[in-house]
Amino acid sequence: MKKILLLLFMFINLAYGYTYDNLLLKAQASIFPKIIMLDKKLESKLVDGKIIYTIVYEKDDYETALEVEKFIDEKYNGHLNDYLYKINLVEFSNLSKETKTSAIYSLNSEKQIKKVAEVAQQKGVVTFSYDIDNLKNGLLFSLVLEKSTVLYCNKNNLHSQDISFVDSLYRIVKFIESKSDIQKKLYNDIPLFNSYKTVVAGL
Amino acid sequence: MKGKNTNSLSTRIVFLIALVSLIITFGVLSVFEKINREAFYQMEMEKADIIAKTIEPLVALNIYLDMQENVNQIVLQLLENPNILSVKIATPEKIINKKLSEHYKENQDGSFVVESTIFQPDTKQKIGTITLIYSNKKYKELVGKHASMTLYLLFGLVIVFLFFSLYIRKLLSPLRTISKMLKNYTPEQHIEIPFASQNNEIGLISNILNEMQHKISEYAKKQKDISHYLEEKVTEKTSQLRHQLYANSLTNLPNRLSLLKDITFFDNTALLIINIDDFKEINDFFGHFVGDAVLMKFSTRLIIMVEQDKNIVVHHLFGDEFALLFLQKPPLQDFIRIAQKLNGDIEKMILFHENNEIGIRATIGGAYQTDGGLEKADIALKSAKKQRKSFLLYDEKLHIEKQYKENMEWVKKLRKAVEQDMIVPFFQPIVDNYTDKIVSYECLIRLIDDNKNIVNPYLFLNIAKKSRLYSTLTKIMIEKSCRHFEHLEYDFSVNLSVEDILDNDIVDYIKNKIAMYGVADKIVFEILESEGIENYEEISIFTKEMKKLGCRIAIDDFGSGYSNFEHLLKLNIDYIKIDGTLIKNLDKDINAQIIVEVIVDFAKKLNIFTIAEFVHSKEVFEKVKELNVNRSQGFFIAEPQKSI
Repeated sequence: MKKILLLLFMFINLAYGYTYDNLLLKAQASIFPKIIMLDKKLESKLVDGKIIYTIVYEKDDYETALEVEKFIDEKYNGHLNDYLYKINLVEFSNLSKETKTSAIYSLNSEKQIKKVAEVAQQKGVVTFSYDIDNLKNGLLFSLVLEKSTVLYCNKNNLHSQDISFVDSLYRIVKFIESKSDIQKKLYNDIPLFNSYKTVVAGL
Repeated sequence: MKGKNTNSLSTRIVFLIALVSLIITFGVLSVFEKINREAFYQMEMEKADIIAKTIEPLVALNIYLDMQENVNQIVLQLLENPNILSVKIATPEKIINKKLSEHYKENQDGSFVVESTIFQPDTKQKIGTITLIYSNKKYKELVGKHASMTLYLLFGLVIVFLFFSLYIRKLLSPLRTISKMLKNYTPEQHIEIPFASQNNEIGLISNILNEMQHKISEYAKKQKDISHYLEEKVTEKTSQLRHQLYANSLTNLPNRLSLLKDITFFDNTALLIINIDDFKEINDFFGHFVGDAVLMKFSTRLIIMVEQDKNIVVHHLFGDEFALLFLQKPPLQDFIRIAQKLNGDIEKMILFHENNEIGIRATIGGAYQTDGGLEKADIALKSAKKQRKSFLLYDEKLHIEKQYKENMEWVKKLRKAVEQDMIVPFFQPIVDNYTDKIVSYECLIRLIDDNKNIVNPYLFLNIAKKSRLYSTLTKIMIEKSCRHFEHLEYDFSVNLSVEDILDNDIVDYIKNKIAMYGVADKIVFEILESEGIENYEEISIFTKEMKKLGCRIAIDDFGSGYSNFEHLLKLNIDYIKIDGTLIKNLDKDINAQIIVEVIVDFAKKLNIFTIAEFVHSKEVFEKVKELNVNRSQGFFIAEPQKSI
């Protein structure tokens, strides 16, 4: 009975928006803006001299997007190093190549991730994904809390965009090349998935 | 060669090469050691630095991205390297991570500390430091390995030099053999050097030594002949020189030096010195050649005279002087008898030269004393000559030595007096017997001694004549007397000896001083008649010259000598000073009165003034006046005084 109730709870959640790990959101809100600063071609991506950090979300995840914005403002208080920044919250459906942005942070979406990747590729901006699984659809970075904080990067996506980071970044990120790598990572390394696996196994 | 191995050539060569090589090697190795140590140090430091610099971007990025747990992982990974003992990562605010390796404690001493700055990846601002402590274990291992390699190298070098020295010794061993063979070499022997066949330097030396031995042998033979010849010559010449040294070159008789040697050698001798009288006349009259012949003949006769007595040795001292040395003293009477007989035999001796008979006389001085025999015989000879005796034996009672000593003292005193200007004239007045007024002064010489005593001339004049100081005294008297009377209205007289008049230098000096002080019409020269005037012609020239100048001449001590009246007249004299011996007792001695009367009469006829000396009493003075002597001088009238 308990198992049935749990499964039911999960489906309800899927029906009304994704579940986000608050700690992971905080970590990503803290680290991703700094990665923007490591882009050697950042100057070409400024909008009116500002860094525009665009958070794209599904309509149901608006609160989460706001929460991320709040985390960033608390951390950086309006400027990254010497640059002023502005956070734009944009629904997936409103994202287009006209959207002015310096970097894009994508929350979860079932169908819109590829669109984000395409826009980013067209604009040549860095993309961050809440979910590592989205890297297979063309997003560039994601962050996972394992035994330590691990930054992942899809190597294929790196080559397809006009982006160049400081060399040391490449030495700390873990590169993922294929879909199978991500699957493997999800099932073996990621604590969240491990907990899922436990749950599933329990089921 | 024993005990001199350190001086051997081979040892020296090897030792020097080894020393130089070791110094160079040691120097090079020391430099290398230092360079290598430095290099090892730098290498290890660079390793540590590279590690620090390698991890710096990762650490920087992780700090930048606040992924500090990753920093921890990096630190743990670093500590897996056993050489890293400690890692400290710090920002200015805090130490992010600090971990020590498990090897830290055992290796911390002397380990390297490397500090690297952490820069923020985007802005390159300094955000912290990485401090690594890197183990020096590897460095120590490298240094140790290098040191042991160096030691092996040195050891290898020592071994090489040992072999090298043995090889050099072997190469040079023939030289040792040759030196041993030649050690006792003499020009008379020939040593065959065995290494002549070798085709190297040793062979060359051996061949040359063999040839040299041959040349030395020939040269030595010639030298031996020359040496033998020279030795003979030297012996001959030495003998000749010895003979010349101890023999008279004319008569070949032993000379004075030989006599002195004999006197020293024999300790009981007596001596006769024979001097041929007036030998100078023979030389002057017949010439030196005849003189030499006479001496040779005389020496032969002398030898014949004493040849029977083997105790007597004849010596030819010099010129006309011979000596008979009695090697063993005969009894005194015999000694005197031999001397007298000898004298008689010599007087009888007649020598012939070109039909001329030359008679010889001799004076003999004898010394019966052995000590100072030559000097004593010489003194006796001089005394005999003086006393006109043919033989005189030296007698201590003659006090001749003392007299000689006194004479020498007087010579010293005289010289000192001359140097210190202590020869002075004293002035004794001469009065006119008719007016009793002083008309002139006689200047008499005096010596003032160290005690200011006035010394009479009879004590020193004879000695002055012998020591050649007489002319100096005359000059002093002339100078001082002329100067004294330059401005006085009196005549003055100065004594001159015959010797002074014959001395051209003195005559010139007199003329010069007379002219200088303008006293020609005041000065009277008193010539001593007592000395016996013989050289009338020369004195006549002098008197004429002086009279021409305006001077006057007096004959002093007239009546004491044996002067020829006729000759005296030719001198054109102005005064006759009658000798004191005639005046002294004139008041009592009738004979003296007669002689003085004759002299006065004779002088008056010739317009010559007469002066009586030695007028010592009133009676004598009265008698002098009575006999019409013109002037008087003596203690009764006045003693000689220092000044007028």
